[in-house]
Amino acid sequence: MAGQEESGGIAGHLQYWSYSFDDSNPFMQIHLDTMLLTTFIALGLISFALWLRCRLVEGAPTGVQNFMESVIDFINQTVRDNFSVNNPLIAPLAMTIFVFILLCNSLDILPAYLMHHVAGLFGLHHFRQVPTNDLNLPAAMAVSVFLLVLYYEFKLKPGHFLKELLLQPFAALLLDSKNPVVKVLGVILIPLNLTLKLVEEFAKPLSLSFRLFGNMFAGEVIFLLIASLLLVGSVDDISSVGGVVSGALGLLVGLGWSLFHMFIGLLQAFIFMILSVVYLSIAHQPVEH
Amino acid sequence: MSIDLTFIAQIIVFILMVVVLWKLLYAPLNDAMEARNKKIESGLAAAEAGVEAQAKAEAMIAEQLNEAKNKAHEIIAAAEKRAVEVSEEALNKSRREAEQILDSAREEVGAELERARQSLREDIAGIAMLAAEKVIEAELDAKRHAKMIQSIVEEGMGAA
Repeated sequence: MAGQEESGGIAGHLQYWSYSFDDSNPFMQIHLDTMLLTTFIALGLISFALWLRCRLVEGAPTGVQNFMESVIDFINQTVRDNFSVNNPLIAPLAMTIFVFILLCNSLDILPAYLMHHVAGLFGLHHFRQVPTNDLNLPAAMAVSVFLLVLYYEFKLKPGHFLKELLLQPFAALLLDSKNPVVKVLGVILIPLNLTLKLVEEFAKPLSLSFRLFGNMFAGEVIFLLIASLLLVGSVDDISSVGGVVSGALGLLVGLGWSLFHMFIGLLQAFIFMILSVVYLSIAHQPVEH
Repeated sequence: MSIDLTFIAQIIVFILMVVVLWKLLYAPLNDAMEARNKKIESGLAAAEAGVEAQAKAEAMIAEQLNEAKNKAHEIIAAAEKRAVEVSEEALNKSRREAEQILDSAREEVGAELERARQSLREDIAGIAMLAAEKVIEAELDAKRHAKMIQSIVEEGMGAA
């Protein structure tokens, strides 16, 4: 019974604080918790940037400037290693992806249910504390990167991209064969080529977004499970021997999982950034003849 | 887990963040880093140029030092040679003076000897006159027989 209650608690915690513009259309709603937290992080980053900008020194950097220069240098090096051409947009894009996702993931360090309870004080029934657990955020970033990839594909090598879209992997049938029957077969296979290529292309933003979402979502669920199964919920329980042991175990396991999950958050931010750079790099690569 | 208007809003937030953070965070930091890197590179280049200049200066100093040493050696050699020449000149001059002194001494000795011989001749002539007077026991006219006596004396001296 208690387990069912806790499961209900976990399911309840996984609900978003949302506002619906049209109840009949599930698309016409907005997750206010995700928007609030991402706006808060974005404003924090902008405030930090303005604060740091006034304190930049030309000489040897120290403190925050030194740390941020290390981050920028790391991102520049990553872009240089993967990017053969110079595009001034790529490094700032990679920096924004890395820093933004890392900060969003870092919110998972807050104790499970904390934000939920704080939001409850303001009369809210649901509040998700990690924006990357909302598929909308990873999908938005992945689709933005994907649209940028498509833009560069069409801008830098339009003919090649269209040819790949329509003729790969059976281009040889239409282009190289002199047999008219094989050529007709090549034309017939164009829809199949297009389907395969579209699947290949759409797999990029899907894998990019679901990888981040899945990792962070699973991490949060494990946090909630640890909290639900090991941490006691009342003062009476915590005064008992079993309650103390359970509470101590819950804290220990929760702390261990927090450290591991912080590493996962950092890793996911890096993976999202590096894959975005790689996809854009592929779009910039010259056509091989 | 559903895609809704949040997706559209997040795209807008993300694009705005890329643009704003590019201008406010990435660009200033990157510019500062590039300026510092250029400064360090120019400093390193200047240091390298300084090291090269120092090496050149050291090479030039060594070359000039060698030249000076060679010149000094040449000057010393010339001075030694000149000293030898001067000493030889002085020696030769002394020799010549000594020879001159010797020659004049010889001449003086010769003249003195001649004077002594002349005096001796005169004495011997007087003695011979006296001896002849004694031998022939006859008084000879000194003025008349002087020439004859003189020739006798000279013959006698020549024999001596």
